[in-house]
Amino acid sequence: MSTTTASISPIPEIVADESVDENGIPWTNYFKVIIGIAVVYSFVRVYMHAFAYTMGLDYFEPEFATFWMSIFWLQAFVCAAAFAGAMGYLWVTRERSPDTVTAEVELSRYFKLITWLVGYTAVVLILGPLAGESDAAWHQVVIRDTDFTPTHISLFYLGFPALIIFGVGSFVYAKTRLPMHAKQSLVPLGIAIGGPILVLPTVGLNEWGHTFFYAEELFGAPIHYGFAALGLALLALGGVVVHILLRMKDLIDEVTAEVEA
Amino acid sequence: MSKQSALRDKLERSTDIFLLTAVVFAVAGATPFVMAVTMGDWEYWVDWKDRRFWPLVPIVLLIIFPAGLSAVFWTRFRLPIACTVVVLCYSLMRWVSTYLNFHVFAGYPISFVWPSVFIPMAIILDCSLIITRSVFVTGFCGAFMWGVLVYPVNWPMLAGFHEPINYHGEMLTAADLLGFEYIRTSLPEYVRIVERTVLRTFGDAVTPLTAVFAGFLSVLMYYLWWLIGSKLNRQTWVKQI
Repeated sequence: MSTTTASISPIPEIVADESVDENGIPWTNYFKVIIGIAVVYSFVRVYMHAFAYTMGLDYFEPEFATFWMSIFWLQAFVCAAAFAGAMGYLWVTRERSPDTVTAEVELSRYFKLITWLVGYTAVVLILGPLAGESDAAWHQVVIRDTDFTPTHISLFYLGFPALIIFGVGSFVYAKTRLPMHAKQSLVPLGIAIGGPILVLPTVGLNEWGHTFFYAEELFGAPIHYGFAALGLALLALGGVVVHILLRMKDLIDEVTAEVEA
Repeated sequence: MSKQSALRDKLERSTDIFLLTAVVFAVAGATPFVMAVTMGDWEYWVDWKDRRFWPLVPIVLLIIFPAGLSAVFWTRFRLPIACTVVVLCYSLMRWVSTYLNFHVFAGYPISFVWPSVFIPMAIILDCSLIITRSVFVTGFCGAFMWGVLVYPVNWPMLAGFHEPINYHGEMLTAADLLGFEYIRTSLPEYVRIVERTVLRTFGDAVTPLTAVFAGFLSVLMYYLWWLIGSKLNRQTWVKQI
């Protein structure tokens, strides 16, 4: 049986956009996000294995400043710049007339929204079982002497800023590009993004507690309950998936109806 | 195949790939993260796998994500796969973490930090849903089985660590001895013995009792987190934030 290939109607915005294919699907960005995050974390991980025990056990040693605090300051600058740059770009290039967005363009933008969410959830994947549990394992064998211990440099001061960039970026992308989100906000999206981002203030509480009255690392301790509660907010991602699927189904119906049978 | 059908297929398949990537990443990341700070120690250390708390705490807490996501997968898509997907992703990431973090990075032997098996119970829970097509019956029977079976399912791996040892005149288990050799800051009161206090005189009844209690609690948790999952996934919009 022969198959015929078809693509959506050539819309100028999609034709001009080099990051999408002829159907407006951003395959390049999809792979770039996943591979980029994997490469960055792989480097972080190799660095941590190489220098955590040799240069990271005593905050007051000069080597600690060279190998770890320098990374901390670099990360702080890069993450702040990336956040400001990304949000500024999204705002400046926002959709000025959401009512005139065609079905093809809106469909393409939903794929891009999912790409943002793929980046967000990829960071969640790293923060949870990989970076998060590396910190858990580290605190079993090393007595705390600072909140800037090697595992925290990658987890709290790179991972959580990355989570904020992708999470807030997803929300702002939806608000500035998608007609349905232009004048209203989807509550599950707010919960799924806001919850994990609020883990960063919880980190403040966690470090404060561990500094003063709870030096050991008992996982189920009450001081960690904030992490559990906010991590559960990701259950709301199901609602985001439902919304995206329902809307994309309507858009696909519209887009395919315009193609000759 | 017409052009319309071909295009629809391509777009829908791409949508599935994009969304499934996000869902799998989210589940594989969030479940271990939440479980780490709730049932963490009971799953990280073999000397925490006792008869009092271990058959109860991990299995009752792990049902949170499967129940919450089943509320979406089943009611919206009629897909009875949430529990199996969640537990498979969780198990895979726990093993990656156990090897990379606890074994390579921190130096604990795998025999000390191996994670428990939950996949059979997840399959039973999902199969309950497929067979009965009823959330109530799944919660009542499937979730009960989920809670009850954790000990027998893990017994082949755990049994050897509960062998008694006479160590300098003191009776303790092989797991306890491993725990003393590998000091962690999470040792409760810095000294932990599997089977402490009165458990040693209770004989066989402790484990089945804990299993049944775990089953009942799992039933309650399944209904509760199904409800919470349904609420969190409603398509509600707000005009102003």
